[in-house]
Amino acid sequence: MITPIALDAPERRPAAKLLVERLAKSFGEGAEAVRALAPIDLFVEKGDFLCVVGPSGCGKTTLLNIAAGFDLPTSGRMLLDNRPIQGPGPERGVVFQQGALFNWMTVLENVAFGPRARGVSPSDARTQAMALLDLVGLSGFAQKFPYQLSGGMQQRVGIARALANDPEILLMDEPFAALDQQTRELLQEEIRAIWRRTGKTVLWITHSIEEALFLATHIVVMTARPGRVKAAFRSRFSENPDPLIAATPEFSAAKREIVQLLRSESQAAQKEEATA
Amino acid sequence: MTASPKADAILEGEGYDPSSSARRADRRDRWLTFAAFATILLAWTAATGSGLWQPFIKPIFLPSPVTVIETFFRLAEQGYQGRSLLHHVTVSFTRFAIAFSCCVVIGVPLGLMIGMNRQLRAIFEPPIQAIRPIPKLALLPLFMIWFGIGNLSKVIVIAAPVLPLIAISAMQAVRSISQKKIQAAQALGASPWTVFWRVVLPASLPGIFTGVRVAISIGVTMLVGAELTATSDGVAWMALTAAEYLSTDIVLVGVLIMAGMGYGLDRLVRAIDIRVVHWSGKE
Repeated sequence: MITPIALDAPERRPAAKLLVERLAKSFGEGAEAVRALAPIDLFVEKGDFLCVVGPSGCGKTTLLNIAAGFDLPTSGRMLLDNRPIQGPGPERGVVFQQGALFNWMTVLENVAFGPRARGVSPSDARTQAMALLDLVGLSGFAQKFPYQLSGGMQQRVGIARALANDPEILLMDEPFAALDQQTRELLQEEIRAIWRRTGKTVLWITHSIEEALFLATHIVVMTARPGRVKAAFRSRFSENPDPLIAATPEFSAAKREIVQLLRSESQAAQKEEATA
Repeated sequence: MTASPKADAILEGEGYDPSSSARRADRRDRWLTFAAFATILLAWTAATGSGLWQPFIKPIFLPSPVTVIETFFRLAEQGYQGRSLLHHVTVSFTRFAIAFSCCVVIGVPLGLMIGMNRQLRAIFEPPIQAIRPIPKLALLPLFMIWFGIGNLSKVIVIAAPVLPLIAISAMQAVRSISQKKIQAAQALGASPWTVFWRVVLPASLPGIFTGVRVAISIGVTMLVGAELTATSDGVAWMALTAAEYLSTDIVLVGVLIMAGMGYGLDRLVRAIDIRVVHWSGKE
């Protein structure tokens, strides 16, 4: 149920929500420079859920940081709705792995932060935030502080906070990586439901192949550093409402296919780490 | 807001009540603190006899706690060198308070600014770091030449080590903020101004409070330097002049008043710290 697809096909570019063009990133200068991203091309269409998987250090977080505007590319460019990305902005909602909530604000204030920063009145921001807390199932925790919540709840707050600006695209940097298996699976189901309900375009970075297969409409497998697109797939598993889809033989077959692609890359990545 | 009982159960885990065990731990901590003070007092009483037995240490070197208390009340009643004890305490406290509040008002914003801006850091940090190891007491004669023998030079002696300490700790507090929190705010559309007031400042508060608490003890210590010469009042001056006549009991009263001042202020700032920075050390 995964089929190869060319996510750098130029003829489809006009429809792209997020467009990555010959994007490359190096850290440092001269002989010391480390190439994090080789020139890569990629597009994400409106409403797509694109998961990027790859060995550690393959530049997938660099890709997300450039999309968020935290980092600038060394060459090439990235466009959202045909406008080049030059810095952070509220039209791109970012969810971090952990530790990005504001501990001095209540859960409600955290979620209302975006609307308030954009000049929405306190009462409207509050109403919006309450609706989003309801969406992620935390309406009973509005007045708690983030440190009073479990890791899974904190990530829900992070998701609600990113949604509060009604962004064009959600950028998620391994948001569930620090959670335990049960919590992660539960949240994966919820994010699927939220994605269906809101129809948001999502760029999701993960190292978990199961997570990618379960959530994504499109999967990009990256090579070891410097990261480039090794393969791209259209995935149908996320359309299936069965939460136990991962137990099917089709799912296992798809997983095996990607694991095999990734294995050689992970070995290459480890070799480089050992010599570095 | 009242969370549902179910919600509370999720928060606190099954059958485990962290609030009561935390209270028990608090009680134990308070008891240990009390025991530590009691032990010091007991050792002091034992060594000096306190009139109960022959002192192991001559009273001229270490007066007993009873003598010190008697001396305190005598000083409180009759004053010292023509001025009341309250006057000496007030004078010292005022010198300290003026110096310290100036340091907080100047040092915290300065530290926040150099923490946030590379250029400002390049300009200000090296000179501040270079000044820090200089023993400020050695500069006292210079301060008196520059600022006269009045209260100004005394305030400056106290401020000299406190200001760099507060500025540097505020700078460190800014620099140790998780980059993710700032990025999260920027990605939510916050202006640099909003990022500063709503993220950088609150996230730096724990570090700023720590710096202020360390600075209190340094500032109180510097009272001795400030009242070393060119004054005829103050608690430190009282202790210093009494030492010349080997009135060790008066010296100890002065020292204990300064210790109490420092400890009291530290407790006060700590109490504010806990109320304001409720998230400190929690993630």
